[in-house]
Amino acid sequence: MGKAEQTMAFCLLGGKLMLRYGAETYRVEDTMYRMAKAAGMRNINSFVTLTGIFLAYRTDEGQDYMQMIRVHERYQDLSKVTSVNQVSREFSHGELSIEEATNELTAIEKAPMNYPLWLIYLASGIGGAAFSYLIGKSFPDIFPAFIGGLMTTVTLVLYQKYLKVKFFSEFLAAVSGGLVAVLMSVTGLALNFDQVIIGTLIPLVPGVPLTNSVRDLMSGDLVAGVARGAEAGVTSLSIAAGVVVSLSFLYF
Amino acid sequence: MIMWLELMFCFVATVAFGIIFNIPLRLVWWGGLIGMVIWLIYSSLPMYGLSQVYSAAVAAFVAAFTSHWLARFKKVPVTTFTIPGIIPLVPGGRAYSSMLAIVEENYSNGLALGIETLLQAGAIAGGLVFALSIFSIGKGVGQRYETNR
Repeated sequence: MGKAEQTMAFCLLGGKLMLRYGAETYRVEDTMYRMAKAAGMRNINSFVTLTGIFLAYRTDEGQDYMQMIRVHERYQDLSKVTSVNQVSREFSHGELSIEEATNELTAIEKAPMNYPLWLIYLASGIGGAAFSYLIGKSFPDIFPAFIGGLMTTVTLVLYQKYLKVKFFSEFLAAVSGGLVAVLMSVTGLALNFDQVIIGTLIPLVPGVPLTNSVRDLMSGDLVAGVARGAEAGVTSLSIAAGVVVSLSFLYF
Repeated sequence: MIMWLELMFCFVATVAFGIIFNIPLRLVWWGGLIGMVIWLIYSSLPMYGLSQVYSAAVAAFVAAFTSHWLARFKKVPVTTFTIPGIIPLVPGGRAYSSMLAIVEENYSNGLALGIETLLQAGAIAGGLVFALSIFSIGKGVGQRYETNR
């Protein structure tokens, strides 16, 4: 494999990892540009949308290379974005050779999540409980909100694992979390129902697409910005629909 | 006393959201500090007669400004601080009450609450954009008139 092909595979791997784990579009483009430039390529152009990456450059011998890859899955794992950013920074400063940097990127790709799944469940319970206190200021409802937030994420992970349909599993998770909250309210465990259901649903908020959408629109990546905004909007709508379904059980 | 309790809960909530978004452990604590600061701003500005939406915009601006500054200092992507930082401002309560009103077939009330929710979301976006603009002065993309020829 020649140097140009090696650089292409390296840059596309870095870009794919960043885009998949929730980096902004401008950062993906900028990272690939810097890595290709540090590898000695000229006339570099990269174009990134929410679902695919294009990269083109010219070698010193005047040969043109161009490739595109499609990125299907999107997860929220910002620690991987941070690690890829660090590798690209070290490579651009000449502290890593291209083989070492490729090995590090492959290690990042193969690494498991930064936190174990049980800690994420626990964190969504604690986050839901703390947020529900901030909204409603009632102490006895912290515990039901904890259970609700925990159940929402547990069911979300289960549905995503077995159904593999993005918006539908968010909808089903909102329904399940809402049903748990309704059940606790019916049995008298939850006193302040509003507070409990907000704590239950807050782990589903699409924080990554929302923030990145604003960032992309501002830096001129209009296609990716609008696409991310649409993703956040559809997620919010499916959560809203899920709450309405579980609320209608309360009024049944 | 009550304020300190709220700030502590906000710290816990923001750190928990940092873990949900898989942010490295050495950075989640900074996100928690940002969450505390903006909750102080967001909950104390209405006492001086400012509206909720305006306080959300100011708080989002402070969150994004601090995040950019910290990201530059720590050499990490700025989203690791902004994404958990703006979570306490999410208008979850309003969104819920607007949906509840619509379920109860009280459509005008639901619409009013829904518009308030959208306004607050827009205020958060506005705060983010404003801080970002300050940090990208001289680096942004051109618009409308080509004056440098």
